[in-house]
Amino acid sequence: MDPALTVDAAELRRAMEYYADQGWTDGLPVVPVTESYLAEFLAQTDRDPGDVLLPMPQLNRACTVRLAAINAALAGCRPEYFPVVLAAWESLAAEGYPVKGIWQSTTGTAPFLIVNGPVRDRIGLNSQGNVFGSGFRANATIGRAIRLGVLNAFGLRPHELDQATQGTPAKYTFCIAENEEESPWPALHTEFGLAAPDSAVTAMVIRSCVHIEARHTRVPEQLATDIAGTISRTGALIHETISAAVVLSPEHARLFSAAGWGKPDLRQFLFDHAVRTRAELAAAGKEAVSSRTRWRLPADHPDALPLAAEDGAIRVLNSPAAVLVVVAGAGNAGVSAVVETFGPRGGPRATSARTSVSRAESWSVRDAGSARIRPSKRPATAGVSTVSPRAAARTLSASTARGVSFRR
Amino acid sequence: MADGILLERAGLPAVSICTDPFALTARAMAKAYGFPGFEYVSIPHPVASLSEAEIQARVHGLLPDLLRILGVE
Repeated sequence: MDPALTVDAAELRRAMEYYADQGWTDGLPVVPVTESYLAEFLAQTDRDPGDVLLPMPQLNRACTVRLAAINAALAGCRPEYFPVVLAAWESLAAEGYPVKGIWQSTTGTAPFLIVNGPVRDRIGLNSQGNVFGSGFRANATIGRAIRLGVLNAFGLRPHELDQATQGTPAKYTFCIAENEEESPWPALHTEFGLAAPDSAVTAMVIRSCVHIEARHTRVPEQLATDIAGTISRTGALIHETISAAVVLSPEHARLFSAAGWGKPDLRQFLFDHAVRTRAELAAAGKEAVSSRTRWRLPADHPDALPLAAEDGAIRVLNSPAAVLVVVAGAGNAGVSAVVETFGPRGGPRATSARTSVSRAESWSVRDAGSARIRPSKRPATAGVSTVSPRAAARTLSASTARGVSFRR
Repeated sequence: MADGILLERAGLPAVSICTDPFALTARAMAKAYGFPGFEYVSIPHPVASLSEAEIQARVHGLLPDLLRILGVE
């Protein structure tokens, strides 16, 4: 046997169980983190470990660069993934809903990360077959790094501060790369003012991911109508309007492109055709809108606004900009997905920082909805001790020459 | 819970009202705010889909508890 693979398995299990007992996991085993291992992550950025990435003022907690690094290491990231994790946190902070407390809501949302640029190849992010599925360390652990940060930095645990009624499987991890190579259109991050050679993360908060299987048509209007019907399902219409990220397989993207459609054309079509009739909405008790919350409810509800006179198709999107279009998956079938985003609806984009065209100036300090990934050459520093992934500092570790030891 | 605790800390008597399934979260939130024993009123679930008359019945039902926590004789 390779001597390098000879380890004390009992010690490994003890470390694993210790982390589980502390409540520092998502239910799956995590990687033990020492100060020296943490230093390898922090060496990937010029940012100060104490910098706040995402504050949660209502909990008086915050995710700092250091906490993000610890949780990335716990999640199984390699240190070179850390700039992507940092960009994801920055993009989520800019998106806005997590800061407002959406991760405590009964709705049960999860972060969704889309990565663009050369970093995809550099760290092995999957953009092709099984793009939502398992099997790729970078996708699996970068998404999980955020999730563990949510659990540990903010204490947003199920049955405690996370009140999700059902949650979503995406909570474990939901990170994809755009299949730029097989997309007929410019990459997603270039829509936000970044250059194609930049690497970027576009993050958003989502409720669910709905499958569209459409191998039956080569007519772009038919395919787009199929997608529009999925976007406008009444179960998704909690509020007056919604937003969505359409993740097209390369085959579907090429179908549109071959017909001369660009992303703006698809967005415009979806805006015009993601509709429900008043009768359809009334059948689900959602024909009116609350005067206070803009949530949908029946017309006879005491909070209901009077119905508008027109009785035709009612749009469920406020603007074409409420739809994000991205290409991912294998080029082997007509399978796409609508990711139901919780983010800004209507004029604002479904994605992170740039909330609307009219307010673009106020975001000029940021590149855009995508957060640029910034590498660093800061050298790693040595140091050994076990570190806590929690926001509240604890002393629970003893240092040893071997790197990991635990004391209760 | 957060609002209730912040109002109390600002010197304004306040009682938080939650429905029963939120008991765990209510306690966790109170703990997060350094007020683990914060007393609140818990009422049956749900509320969002009740009629106006049912809402009124809920309010009448919780009043004694609410007044007790406020210290109203």
